[in-house]
Amino acid sequence: MSENTNQGQGIAGHGSFFQDTNLSRDDALKATDWVRKHVDKRTIDLGERMDDIRDHMWELEKDGQIIVHRITDLHEPVDVTTLFGWNKRVPTTKLWHHKSCGQCGNIPGYPTSIMWFMNKFGAKPGEDYLDETDQTSCTAWNYHGSAIGNVEALAAVFLRNFHQAYVSGKQHGFELGHFFPLVHCGTSFGNYKEIRKYLVESAELRERVTKILGKLGRLVDGKLVIPEEIIHYSEWLHVVRNKIASEHQTIDVSNIRVTVHAACHYYKMVHEDAIYDPEVMGGNRTAVGTSMAKALGAQVIDYSTWYDCCGFGFRHIISEREFTRSFTMDRKIRVAREEANADVMLGIDTGCITTMDKNQWIGKAHNQNFSIPIMADIQFAALACGADPFKIVQLQWHASPCEELVEKMGISWTQAKQNFESYLKEVEAGNIEYLYNPELALGGR
Amino acid sequence: MATYAEMREIYDEIRGDFRYDHELNGCLNCGVCTATCPSAQFYDYSPREIVQLLWTENVEQIYDAMQEKIWACAQCMTCAARCPFKNSPGGLVMIMREVAIKHGMQSAKDVLRPFGRVMLKLITTGNQLSPDMIQPDHFPDWGPNIQKVEGDLKTLRKAIPVRTLQTVETAWEVSLKTSVEMYTIWEMTGVLAALEAMDENLFDVIEDFIDEKREEYDDWLEEQEDD
Repeated sequence: MSENTNQGQGIAGHGSFFQDTNLSRDDALKATDWVRKHVDKRTIDLGERMDDIRDHMWELEKDGQIIVHRITDLHEPVDVTTLFGWNKRVPTTKLWHHKSCGQCGNIPGYPTSIMWFMNKFGAKPGEDYLDETDQTSCTAWNYHGSAIGNVEALAAVFLRNFHQAYVSGKQHGFELGHFFPLVHCGTSFGNYKEIRKYLVESAELRERVTKILGKLGRLVDGKLVIPEEIIHYSEWLHVVRNKIASEHQTIDVSNIRVTVHAACHYYKMVHEDAIYDPEVMGGNRTAVGTSMAKALGAQVIDYSTWYDCCGFGFRHIISEREFTRSFTMDRKIRVAREEANADVMLGIDTGCITTMDKNQWIGKAHNQNFSIPIMADIQFAALACGADPFKIVQLQWHASPCEELVEKMGISWTQAKQNFESYLKEVEAGNIEYLYNPELALGGR
Repeated sequence: MATYAEMREIYDEIRGDFRYDHELNGCLNCGVCTATCPSAQFYDYSPREIVQLLWTENVEQIYDAMQEKIWACAQCMTCAARCPFKNSPGGLVMIMREVAIKHGMQSAKDVLRPFGRVMLKLITTGNQLSPDMIQPDHFPDWGPNIQKVEGDLKTLRKAIPVRTLQTVETAWEVSLKTSVEMYTIWEMTGVLAALEAMDENLFDVIEDFIDEKREEYDDWLEEQEDD
């Protein structure tokens, strides 16, 4: 299709010898019409087999069983299309940051870059977004890793956190539902979507967790609060990407070769909810992540193992590390390096970035002397918009050679590092710079 | 070795989980799940085999698979996304793992042992990971470049321009009230009981911690009332 500008680099899993037909968009659609009608799994699923859980959610609300936390005009939503052509509304403001334990603990430049962009858009902290201490992890990493936990516990955690998001505006002088949850972590995102599905489908589960939430004082009018949509930060980034590129980009990244690893729990769990866009990789991949890199003008390069997981494995990264190291090196880093000669691998999730970032050095033990900088799409975008590589993008916590990418983008790593080391002295003296008034985190105004 | 009746009971528990009929709809034995499975490339593990064992109600081999194989799954859910029958072998594995925990299987205990620190952190703080858990000396295989700026961890965390993240022992600051609410969830959903069955020592440590935090919270509430 004419939208493929990666000459000779291949798209959609055809490999490096893919040749563009140079058909116009209309001609290409006409040429493939029969195939799409007859064998496109999405069409089959959409027409006959797949149920939209949101329809049942509205019915439950109508029956007075739950309250749906709505996305309203206040949230300035943007409509996008998911795998089967269904509509999903992505709010762009009045957002409640549902943080990720892996990101905050290990890749803090992830959440800081998100908030930095919100500030760039003119968002007012405490009104247009809220980050507070009344939030727990989703606990799904532990669940998938150890199996200590169960659906009831996961559901109660989900409902507790999302109830807090629903009521959080009150303390800041707004109505219920003012802040809509923005989920930073892919594991949380996949888990919450799965749990929402179970909650909507199982009256027994709802009954059990209602008792728990009641005891916690986390019901509204005696009802559970379930959000209209589960929104991942990469979806928010997807819908604001053109604004970022047109209004805030300061660095030309057209010389940067980007590979993208989309998180499994973003698009393989409850896959009908993941965003696809015909303008991004022909709609053959989930759009998030890639769309940001393309909007910035970077060269998005395909690689044959795009569908593979990163090797995180939940328990594997802790107790089966040889699997994690081997898989990430052999199936991701080596391929992105050899096939795409990538300058960077962008991720959209916590576990993937940790896995691919931290497990490259050990490859030297097996003579795997190759590496690639690893970071999130939002961190790359922040760099392209002039964010400080240390203060904001927090690349000091990354083990992969991010300095190589930063230098290629025309930013002096050495100078930025020196500036940051000077800033650390200020921090020690108590002169700390904040993205928002710290009192907001503790419920203050 | 379990008796056939015990193995049958375990199977019935798996079969009785309300998610079972979501996750297993039939099986053509096409093997797409195994072809695309990362764990199948490294272990004696096949999602197709798991599905087939359950589909054919092979209770002895299901029990056998629960001794080791089910723990090989990386939970990426690639199998679920690919299956033409809309099965979720990864989801079935989770049901089997939960049942293994409930029955105190040795395989589950072995798996849980290296997970102790994460478990302790999660149950007591509501965070699964913290900056002090990922220091260079804990992961020498992550190489010398794990932290690109030298410095005291506390100072480096203070240099993150977000208030909630300026922590060392948790990924972000979780309010005491939030943690206490979490303890209620653990208790009411049987998570603490499962943990006790799996690792009594870890459970004791966690229980002490929870008691302490609850007392701290009660004291704080009293202080508020006094004010």
